[in-house]
Amino acid sequence: MTRLSKLTSFIVDDHRYVLLGTSVVAAIGVWFSMQRRSPMSFLRGAYAVEVAMYWLLVAWLAVSAVALVWKLTHWEGDAYERTSPFARPAARTAERLCSYAVCAVTAALVVDRAAMGFLSVVSQSLAQDKNPSDFLGSIVYMLDKSYGIIGRGVLTTVGLSVFGTLIAFVLAILLVFLRIQTIDRSDNDAVRFLKAAGCGFAKVYSTVVRGTPMMVQGMLIYFAGFGLLRNSGMSVTEIGMVWSTFVAGLVTISLNSTAYMMEVLRGGIEAVDLGQTEAARSLGLSQWQAMIKVVFPQGIKNAIPALSNELVVNIKDSSVLSVIGVFDLMFVTKTVVGIYFKQVELYVVAALCYLCLTMAASWLLGRFARRLSVEPAPLLSTSDGTATVGTVSSMSSTELSLDAQRKGGR
Amino acid sequence: MSAPINAAGPLIRVENLRKSFGSHLVLRDIDFAVNRGEVVTIIGASGSGKSTLLRCMNLLETPDSGHIWFHGEDLAADRVNINRLRERIGMVFQSFNLFNNKNVLDNCTLAPITLKKMGRDEAEAEARRNLEAVGLLEFVNAPATSLSGGQKQRVAIARALCMKPDLMLFDEPTSALDPEIVGEVLNVMHDLAAEGMTMVVVTHEMAFAKSVSDKVVFMDQGVITEQGGPQEMFTSPRLPRTREFLSRYLED
Repeated sequence: MTRLSKLTSFIVDDHRYVLLGTSVVAAIGVWFSMQRRSPMSFLRGAYAVEVAMYWLLVAWLAVSAVALVWKLTHWEGDAYERTSPFARPAARTAERLCSYAVCAVTAALVVDRAAMGFLSVVSQSLAQDKNPSDFLGSIVYMLDKSYGIIGRGVLTTVGLSVFGTLIAFVLAILLVFLRIQTIDRSDNDAVRFLKAAGCGFAKVYSTVVRGTPMMVQGMLIYFAGFGLLRNSGMSVTEIGMVWSTFVAGLVTISLNSTAYMMEVLRGGIEAVDLGQTEAARSLGLSQWQAMIKVVFPQGIKNAIPALSNELVVNIKDSSVLSVIGVFDLMFVTKTVVGIYFKQVELYVVAALCYLCLTMAASWLLGRFARRLSVEPAPLLSTSDGTATVGTVSSMSSTELSLDAQRKGGR
Repeated sequence: MSAPINAAGPLIRVENLRKSFGSHLVLRDIDFAVNRGEVVTIIGASGSGKSTLLRCMNLLETPDSGHIWFHGEDLAADRVNINRLRERIGMVFQSFNLFNNKNVLDNCTLAPITLKKMGRDEAEAEARRNLEAVGLLEFVNAPATSLSGGQKQRVAIARALCMKPDLMLFDEPTSALDPEIVGEVLNVMHDLAAEGMTMVVVTHEMAFAKSVSDKVVFMDQGVITEQGGPQEMFTSPRLPRTREFLSRYLED
């Protein structure tokens, strides 16, 4: 039995709840009926109908009040059941039917006032040739005039964060292999030097990138690239073709995210039991073979929830790249604010857009992670029940709750 | 590189082995040897250095000084190709350490195939043979994580055998198991010893040590204080320390 059907049977079975519960609905209906009618209200021309609806609701409230008083004065035992006219079987049926009518009337009023009111604000705003002064109308007006560039901004933000995260994922895998290598006994001097150099590079990279703000990194990368190309004799227009702000932003977000993802991967790999490595090494596998065949596949599974969180973080943090002029959602919002000078309205819109994007991303990644964490293992036969088809790894709880996101800002 | 080995000489010989963790000296000048086909059990109190000695014998711990001669090469030498030598030394761990991302069969075939000792078909046939010997053939496709402790340890033994090692090291193979299922692992080790496998076993199972060993080594505070055949070690140990240690087990 669902929660909803439980609740309905509870209300329907006992007429006192019909009275009390529906009187709350009636009160809401009364409140809506007292609101101003919008131009698109379908009850506009039917004043008499609305008056009848209003009085029906008020009458219902009065009946409920009387029933409640009766109950309070006949509290003991089943006195209410025996004496109250409201408790007679015929009255109960009537009350139930009336409660349906009350709910229908309230629903009609809600649609008339709230939904039609919203639609009428929208249609009015669309017809205006100057920005309306009310909050909602102004948002609708500005969205209507600038949905094209806002859409482009959203697409740029999605492109930056999705491609940036994918590139960063590949780079982070390469970098983490540099980071976690240790010197083995059988290595010769050249290998030892290369391993130490690679590990040192990864450490320095991670420290520098995670220790500086992405805004500064974006500025540095964009202008450094620009300067280099300018020195090579290209004109500003030519540079704009190859080293656009989007490309610079994509490079920045990829390089930035690489450092964070590398640390996440390293954490996942280091969480794998040391015994796994020892067992692989004891069979004669080299350090590299043990890593590739045994440790890394387990480590990356540990890291998947935090890795996918990186996409959510990048969606939000790509907003700082607007400082180099990437045409992302933040930059677009600032531009539109410059036109209409309606800061609160437009930043609310931007916030809602970011919220929708991050929620969609975490939902998709959650589904993806759940699928990955269950590996289908074909099983031929077992004599006792110890073996099961498919193992749910320990990280199956990959719900990416929004409040669990680390790093408010970089 | 590999000098011809004296068939009559010991399979593995440990000389003057020293190992410390920080300032704590765990192994003090250990000398001992294991001949081909011999079963040697190492007994002693916890912290006496038994496991460290065993782990040094395939270089999971790097000794500070000393030599470990195996097939004419010194495992403890700097820059020895340890991977080639480890292929010939099987190791069984207290905590099983089956590869959690693989099923039983892949656990057994991973190393032979990766190290190109065998083709896939040959490796799988060898794995099935060894799994059958430990009584787990029906679990070939089960995920490693789905097995019970005793089953895991038997798979771990089969996995080590798939590399056709000359020497098997057992590091307290039954210490993480329920008393009821210790027997199923010990039986497998019994069979292995009967087939003539050279084995070094660190264990607290004194009955097993007594019945299977050719030689029993008693360690105390990083030193081999006494060694000998199982009969003399368990019935008439020379040193009071050995007697004291064994009395706690033999009372039961």
